[in-house]
Amino acid sequence: MNDHWSAEREAAATPVRGIEFTGSWREYLPIALSNALLTVVTLGVYRYWAAARQRRYLWSRTIVIDDPLEWTGTGKEMFIGFLVVMAVLLPFFLFFQFAFPAMVARGKAGAAGGIFTLFYIGIIYLGGLARFRALRYRLSRTWWHGIRGGSDEPGWNYGGEYLGRIALSAMTMWVMFPWAAVRLWNGRWNQMSFGSLPFVATLTTEGLKRRWAAIYLIPLAMLVVGGIVAAIGAASLLGSNRPLTVALIIGSIVVVFYLAIPLATLHWYAKYYRRAADSLSLGGLEFGFDATTWGWLKLFLGNLALAVVTLGFGLTYWGYRNWSFMVRHLHIYGEIHIDQTHQSTTSAPGEAEGFADAFDLGAL
Amino acid sequence: MQATFYDGVTAIRHEADVRVADDRLDLAWGVGEEDSIASDLLLRLDGPRESLRVGRSDRPGWRLIFPASAASVLGPLLPAEARYGRWVDRLGLWRAAAAFGLVAALVLFIGHVAPEWIAPHVPQRWESDLGQTLVGDFGKNRCAGGAGNQALRKLAERIAPGVTQPGERHIQFTALDFGIFNAAALPGAQIILFKGLLLETHDSDAVAGVLAHEVAHVRRRHVTQALIREFGIGSLIRLFAGGIGANTEQLVSLSYTRANEAQADADAIVMLRAAHIDPRPTARLFAKLAKQTGERDGDATGYGQFLQSHPVSLERAKKFAASFRAGNSYRAVLSRGEANDLLNICWNGRGVPPSVYAPYRLTTGTRDSRHPQEWRDSLGTVLENIG
Repeated sequence: MNDHWSAEREAAATPVRGIEFTGSWREYLPIALSNALLTVVTLGVYRYWAAARQRRYLWSRTIVIDDPLEWTGTGKEMFIGFLVVMAVLLPFFLFFQFAFPAMVARGKAGAAGGIFTLFYIGIIYLGGLARFRALRYRLSRTWWHGIRGGSDEPGWNYGGEYLGRIALSAMTMWVMFPWAAVRLWNGRWNQMSFGSLPFVATLTTEGLKRRWAAIYLIPLAMLVVGGIVAAIGAASLLGSNRPLTVALIIGSIVVVFYLAIPLATLHWYAKYYRRAADSLSLGGLEFGFDATTWGWLKLFLGNLALAVVTLGFGLTYWGYRNWSFMVRHLHIYGEIHIDQTHQSTTSAPGEAEGFADAFDLGAL
Repeated sequence: MQATFYDGVTAIRHEADVRVADDRLDLAWGVGEEDSIASDLLLRLDGPRESLRVGRSDRPGWRLIFPASAASVLGPLLPAEARYGRWVDRLGLWRAAAAFGLVAALVLFIGHVAPEWIAPHVPQRWESDLGQTLVGDFGKNRCAGGAGNQALRKLAERIAPGVTQPGERHIQFTALDFGIFNAAALPGAQIILFKGLLLETHDSDAVAGVLAHEVAHVRRRHVTQALIREFGIGSLIRLFAGGIGANTEQLVSLSYTRANEAQADADAIVMLRAAHIDPRPTARLFAKLAKQTGERDGDATGYGQFLQSHPVSLERAKKFAASFRAGNSYRAVLSRGEANDLLNICWNGRGVPPSVYAPYRLTTGTRDSRHPQEWRDSLGTVLENIG
């Protein structure tokens, strides 16, 4: 009987990983080309069907333990989801397009600002809802061994939790953001399940505080060092060359804000995702993720270079590259009792990823 | 035939024995378990080429996975594979691409020309209501100088007689207290000019040229066209398009706006001529604008110009300058006192007036003794120096 399957036992016999990506860019090329063609000639409308086709390929080339994943989401449902969300967002759009300038033109900038703030709060709430729903949707359309994932929660509460935690960390100049991030990660994943198995996330800020502090301290240290160097330079070498001194100061500020802070943030996120995956389990399965800061950087720079070298066509490979990056760095350990793993009883959501799509939240 | 079988109830993987019987699929698995499925319930799923995946329309997760070679036996039983999406699958990739391309071209074409057809038929009243809703009375940003507004009305009457009188052809002129070097036509027959324009030009004849251009936009209903374009094709394309459509939209809407701008310039030149207002100050204004934006004479043709919503300033300067006729008798649009009032239209009347009108040129063409060709040559030298 083949009803009990142990990943560990299999791994001992044949050293395969728990999850593996077997796709190739050549095999994906016809999909990329036809998706690009159809998206152009439909003025962008086809992109939902293009996304569905891309995922069907990527999922089918992702082997989990002994069998590939299967994506069953359709372009049509994503398109409808998009239309639904547009209807929800229409009041926001109309406000910014008409009411806001009209109020400012009448000299009622204060009232306009107040309503603007309220709408902004609403948009943050919807942003949290979007993250939850995108995850729920993706799990509900992901099948393995004939069963799928999902969630019984619609995400309304999560949206509120998201708004509250983001607001609190904003009030502390984002110093408390790691605490917000780990609780939101747990809040999201602890509502998710695959088949009859619930996901369990137990992420803490352990190991995440030092790198977060670095985001504040590195630019500060660089400014101090830069200031000392500039002062010494101004006193000796440069003398009265004031434009050069000013250029140096402006240059170092640019470096700090456009290089040091994003890199320090990436450094934190790299650790965050490793810790987040470590904290996650599904029944007897545990997860791991080993992408380093340098790995992420290579992915982003590679994506950019690919798009530039191919005059934009490379954009069609971003989804492919991002997915294969995630899968290559993901690990699955432990064992799953497939005879005790039953079909999901969660209701499959209908509106797809409309909200996440509207707020431009990517797969990463 | 052997196949991997998932029943969609548990995650157990079965090896099933499958047989094709008429229009049914019989399968047996496990310890004596059997099922027989009518072929009209079967689905052929898009998947890796080395295998054939079969699903059931009435049971999510139910899967039979065969080696690809099974397609020759099972093919007749299964519907066509759903690959690109239903419409494209039905038509075939190339025919669908051609058909969609045609529809897209049609949509873009209609989006391009429809505003021009529709705009004249939009009741002025609707547009006025929309204009009122959008901008109201501008609150405290409106420049309330009494003498200045009187001068502004006089200037407007010179370039477009009857324009300040109530009725169908009424246009509301408003000066706004912002240091922006610009003027604009808004929905609902409203023209606004910013304080920055008055202070920068220091020349009411040039202001007349700019306002004549805006009056032409209102009269030709270019504003209505722009609104329809923005909320018709513009919002549609922005809605769906990431990068691709946005670029398309820019090309369409910009080349279109350029036609409107050129027409408004031509109308403005006619208006200035009818009102006996010297067009050269307007030419100087555009030449100055060209200098500020670092524009070179060579930019006036080709790609650079194509992607700008307004015609390149140097080109416009030349057009206005070329409309000057030495034999015409030009009259300044406002007296020196009125020009001073207009300049201080945003001054609240307390304290010292912020600016004093200081004309740096002769206001009548007849006093310029030079031959027009000679004058144009000298303007040409100025323009070259700017470049």
